[in-house]
Amino acid sequence: MSLALPVYRFRLEPYLEFAKKAFAREATYRFEVFTNVGSLILRIYLMRMVWLALYAQNAAPQGIALHQILTYTVIALLMSLILEVDGTRMIREKLREGTIATDFMKPISPALYFFSDGLGQTLLHGILIVPSLLVALLMVHIDVPPPAALAAFAVSFVLGYLVNFMLNFCMNCVAFWTLESFAVQLIVRWCSDLLSGQIIPLLFFPGILQQIVLALPFAAIYSTPLLIYIGKIPPGGYVEALLVQVGWLLVFAAAGTVIWRAAQRRLVVQGG
Amino acid sequence: MPIIETRNLRKVFRSVKRYPGLGGAVRSLFTREYVDKAAVEDVTLAMEPGELVGYIGPNGAGKSTTIKMLTGILVPTSGEIHVAGLVPHEKRKENARNIGVVFGQRSQLYWDLPLQESFELLRAIYAVPRDRYRANLARFSEILALDEFMETPVRQLSLGQRMRGDFAAAMLHDPQIVYLDEPTIGLDVVAKEAIREFIAQINEERGTTVILTTHDLADVERLCNRIILIDDGRVVFDGGIERLRNEYGTHRTLVVTLAENCESFDFPHTELVEREGNLVHLKFDRRRITAEQLIRAVTERCTISDVSIVEPELEDIIRRIYLEGYQHQAQAPAPSS
Repeated sequence: MSLALPVYRFRLEPYLEFAKKAFAREATYRFEVFTNVGSLILRIYLMRMVWLALYAQNAAPQGIALHQILTYTVIALLMSLILEVDGTRMIREKLREGTIATDFMKPISPALYFFSDGLGQTLLHGILIVPSLLVALLMVHIDVPPPAALAAFAVSFVLGYLVNFMLNFCMNCVAFWTLESFAVQLIVRWCSDLLSGQIIPLLFFPGILQQIVLALPFAAIYSTPLLIYIGKIPPGGYVEALLVQVGWLLVFAAAGTVIWRAAQRRLVVQGG
Repeated sequence: MPIIETRNLRKVFRSVKRYPGLGGAVRSLFTREYVDKAAVEDVTLAMEPGELVGYIGPNGAGKSTTIKMLTGILVPTSGEIHVAGLVPHEKRKENARNIGVVFGQRSQLYWDLPLQESFELLRAIYAVPRDRYRANLARFSEILALDEFMETPVRQLSLGQRMRGDFAAAMLHDPQIVYLDEPTIGLDVVAKEAIREFIAQINEERGTTVILTTHDLADVERLCNRIILIDDGRVVFDGGIERLRNEYGTHRTLVVTLAENCESFDFPHTELVEREGNLVHLKFDRRRITAEQLIRAVTERCTISDVSIVEPELEDIIRRIYLEGYQHQAQAPAPSS
């Protein structure tokens, strides 16, 4: 009997399908989706109260006016609809349940599978931005920047998304060694919440501390796109700001590749 | 030409040494000592296309480790391995196209999706042509009665339904080889029978090579014409079920129905195991005394109305091999080819 040797070549179809299924899967958790929007609206409302109270005492710290800080806050929270999705948390879950081996028994690249799944989840959560934005507009006035800033913001947001995605991917892969990486995840999440500029603009940090937090990779996630949006990074600074983000993306992509290779090696040597 | 072939396959795992007690737990946080343990010591086997082989052994014998090496997700420490002409761990994805896998304990279906959508996903993964996909799904639905829960999310399926779904999922891309790791675990008799029927049909209709790992020897008796028995990471028996019975099932039981009362049953190489009214169970060593000799000896002493001979259960034979170890057997069997 002669055996025809199948030749493996890359096909996009499975990955598109993974993204579609992830989208459909997230959509089945309707309650979670709606509470997500609900809690976001609540957070916008509360943050508005906080800033109104603070600004009543102290006018425009760091040259950020009230309308700017409110815009910053709302846009940050809308971004969080996408950025708080940990698209590759499935890696952790599969390692804990011991089901990751079955993904390696299929003719696919498991890493690309996890990425496409994450992308599908992102798209579903991305859609939620529209209704959330509409409700937010009823409560707060949001500045709309000139088209150039808007375009730069869009590019910067995508870069920030990718940096965040790769950072999460690296964290999730730690579970290949520890089985449980929730503690690591939690620490990184806390740092990231505070140091990424999601809650307060990094420009509010004093002196040397501000220099430090702006130089950290977390700033590439929220701070850069947001500062572009509210005009605190002027058009002349776009190229530099975006290049720094690209730099961080390359760093995390490289780290992700190294960690993933090591994780695969560990899996095939030590078992799943 | 064998479709699956391994030669002196060996896999050693390195694990962290544990220390006893609370102090030990603290100590193991800071110091690391490793212990090497061979999960698979030395496995040489060959399977022809279309064979349906039971791969059995006690827990921790190295069955799953062997299967993982055959699927290519585990790299052997030493030895050779070829599956359908490929070295699995060097060509993981190519190998994956040739194989189907079912784990009784873990599902490969997508938990949150209806069964139907899991199948569609698998169609995309394996690039199954549409008409082939439809034909396969129709056939599997027929044997496994999938229609009634095709639209149900996998997490809501009963274990029996889920396993049926898992079997269809593993076979959608017409694999040449399927590895079944305890596929009937936890199933009720009806579901077990449905699964066995499916395995038998697929093997017969498509000539699929099947390796079946199980603790339920009824699966093996029903399906397999060959058994590979593994213990402590080594093959201890490889051959037909009949040969296993002949070589290891040395004791049979003669059941005698007495016509009149009779008291003395001390026959040579024979043991009285049970007596219930006029029903007497005599266990005899068939290497030392034939059934015919024993029946004659019994009839000389007692008046009987009926006799029957009970073959040893496969389960008893295997239990004996596990307990006594293969080396203590009368003649160590040479692996058959």
